[in-house]
Amino acid sequence: MNQLVCLPQPGAQILAARLVVPLGSHLDPPGRAGQQQLLAGVLTRGCGSLDAEAFADLVEGLGANLRCEAGDDLLVVALKCARADASTLLPLLLQMLEQPQCASSQVGLERDLNLQALQRLQEDPFHLCHEQLRQQLFGNGPYGHDPLGLAPQLASIKPDQLKQAALHLPQACAQLVVAGDPEASLLERCQARFGQWSAAAMPEQSVAPNPARSLALLAADTEQAVLMLGFRTVGLAHGDALPLRLLQVHLGVGMSSRLFQVMREELGLAYDVGTDLPARRRDSPFVWHLSTGAERLPEAMDALYGEWQALHQAPLAEAALALAKAKLRGQEALGRETGSQRADRLALLLSHGLPADHNERALERLASIGPEQVQAVAQRWLLEPSLSVCGPASALVKAQKRWDQCWVQAPAPVL
Amino acid sequence: MSRPLAVLRPALGFPAPIQASLSNGCPITLLPLADASVVCMEFWCRAGSLEELPGESGLAHFLEHMVFKGSEGLGPGAFDLKIESLGGYSNAATGFDEVHYHLLLPPEGLGLACELLPRLVLQPSLEPAAFQLERQVVLEELAQSEDQPEELAFQHLLSQACGSHGYGRPILGLKPDLLAHTPHSMAAFQQRNYRSDRCAVAVGGNFDPALLLAQLEAGPIARLGRAERDSHRGTINFQAGHQQLVLPRLESARLLMAWPCPAAGALDALMGHELWATLLAEGRRSRLVEELRENLQLVETIDLDIHPLEEGSLAILEATTEPENLPRVIKAVQQVLQGVQGGISAQELDRAKRLLGHGHSFGLEATSQVTHQLAQATLQGRLLDLDAPLHRLENWDLQRLQALAPVWDPAHACILEVLPA
Repeated sequence: MNQLVCLPQPGAQILAARLVVPLGSHLDPPGRAGQQQLLAGVLTRGCGSLDAEAFADLVEGLGANLRCEAGDDLLVVALKCARADASTLLPLLLQMLEQPQCASSQVGLERDLNLQALQRLQEDPFHLCHEQLRQQLFGNGPYGHDPLGLAPQLASIKPDQLKQAALHLPQACAQLVVAGDPEASLLERCQARFGQWSAAAMPEQSVAPNPARSLALLAADTEQAVLMLGFRTVGLAHGDALPLRLLQVHLGVGMSSRLFQVMREELGLAYDVGTDLPARRRDSPFVWHLSTGAERLPEAMDALYGEWQALHQAPLAEAALALAKAKLRGQEALGRETGSQRADRLALLLSHGLPADHNERALERLASIGPEQVQAVAQRWLLEPSLSVCGPASALVKAQKRWDQCWVQAPAPVL
Repeated sequence: MSRPLAVLRPALGFPAPIQASLSNGCPITLLPLADASVVCMEFWCRAGSLEELPGESGLAHFLEHMVFKGSEGLGPGAFDLKIESLGGYSNAATGFDEVHYHLLLPPEGLGLACELLPRLVLQPSLEPAAFQLERQVVLEELAQSEDQPEELAFQHLLSQACGSHGYGRPILGLKPDLLAHTPHSMAAFQQRNYRSDRCAVAVGGNFDPALLLAQLEAGPIARLGRAERDSHRGTINFQAGHQQLVLPRLESARLLMAWPCPAAGALDALMGHELWATLLAEGRRSRLVEELRENLQLVETIDLDIHPLEEGSLAILEATTEPENLPRVIKAVQQVLQGVQGGISAQELDRAKRLLGHGHSFGLEATSQVTHQLAQATLQGRLLDLDAPLHRLENWDLQRLQALAPVWDPAHACILEVLPA
């Protein structure tokens, strides 16, 4: 059911809005990786009676920021503008999804730009390592590729296919969140129009089977080796999502985090070290990452192995868990300062079918989570590691050897 | 300190910032925001890489790392642990002109932050063992940056354009210098540059200004002496020219162009250049994006950014393209830049003013953003009303802006073509 929610900021001269539909790159049809991101880009290239040039004239002429992007789960239109311009721009957001032009010339241009961006990203060893890890964790299923797509498939997408995909945009489960001080009549007009949306859902893609333990190596002529250790875990609404978030914060958020302390402060192995756990509708990947001098790759693997084992073998110390909880509470507070931040998080929660106060409820539940529960969650979800390494070929040979020596044998799951 | 303080007004929904100074003259700017959910504290110091003497390259940045390795009575990591236990967050960054340390935390943590941050920054332990280990981390940071061909290209452009001036030297330092630094040489750099007349503090959020000032006065910032000599104020000896660079692991070619611009302190003149950069390359209707990306479809990206710098700002253009298209891109950029000599429209100026003006207001939404701007302006002695940039925009009309057009003559630029090996 469509929802339009306003986060009121009386007197605010800036208005932020997020229009979100659950049409992210996980719905890219087989053989068309990159379709949804291409569609998102084309939405800013004309709608209704405005062609690409007139559209840009209008938005840029008002000095507004307007982005449209497909993430893994969601297609998001993000707007920031002066309060006075909202009466023009909020209806425009709706029209972008209702009546996109998808002109063939604009589809071709946007597709070429995305292809070139994909090519440029090959320069970045972190991107290469991450894409390899996506394959390990998700194969050719949803989440298996960057939203930008895979070059040969993206190149084959036709304007007509994009027009078909665009028919799904005005969905009955879209969310529009506005932060600021808009006129009530404007919101009413938007609500009346928005309530009419009823497009059919896109077909879900089949999920790849759970990944087996794997090492993947990619040779690059770099000074450093990039390491990413990944696990496929649970979606945002799952009961284990909160203990997993605590583990992620414990391991990799801030300078007091475990991986930062071990890899950087004790061993001097890396400058950049951390963890990611993007909030997904399902199967969120939990990624531990660092880059280190190629000659120290085996040492870094050993240290990562030790940290992974430790999570299985013993519960976190009470102090470490308390620190992770404090950091999580802090993140929550620091991350809802601006209208854009608040609109972003609310649109995300509503899109995943969660209540608006999901995060507050989670913070209340934090107190009751003990070290044993966190350990049990680690034992459940961090069982089968996928390790992706990108670096010089000579170092990769050593990585394979290290993997065969110790990573292949399971940590005896403590059950 | 005798610098007269301008009377500041409330602006853009913020109250007037409070200007104060400690007994030794160190300037403090406070922005109390009753309904802010966080407090931000920034410590700024004119101790960027520009202050490095021969052989000292990388020292400013390395010192910024060592600060977090502890101070007397505060072991390595102890500061981070305390701040993060409160749900706070700290960070730091070293630039050419300045280094700054940043804290964002819940209001109840400010007292502790105010006690610890000045100690940490001004009395670093520089323990030899920690120093050796952190050098490894800095070397890894350097290696990580050198694995990004785009960073290498950018660094090459700066050294080509700025020659022997400090802006041409990498902030991370040169490897032989990094290997030679000692705790002793770092301490000398620290004591030379972290002085009362080279530092500034700004705090924004929900706090009691009188209490905060008293606490800062009781700490080590107020005991700093003045610098022994004034910081040099030179200017870049900008070098126009045209070079090629071939880089391994590059996938797309780049065109990089730099032009000299007025120094960061020349606020009005720099605004004219900002307007030009916006008009030329911000958004699809800007001259360069429209012609090169939308019409000719020659580039994936084309950007033109003004980098404000104390000894001479730089305007830097970067375009990404297929290697075989690079000659056509250069020609097309030249044609666009020649085209604007013939005149710009009132509509283009209006669009650029709105984009810049709104960009300024949009960039002050978070407490950390506004505190950041206040701290830098305080350090550089040019604290003005928060809406001053909006008034400066109004100083520029078509005629005045058009007179600046010759600045963009490619003959004045330092051009670097970057091609895959």
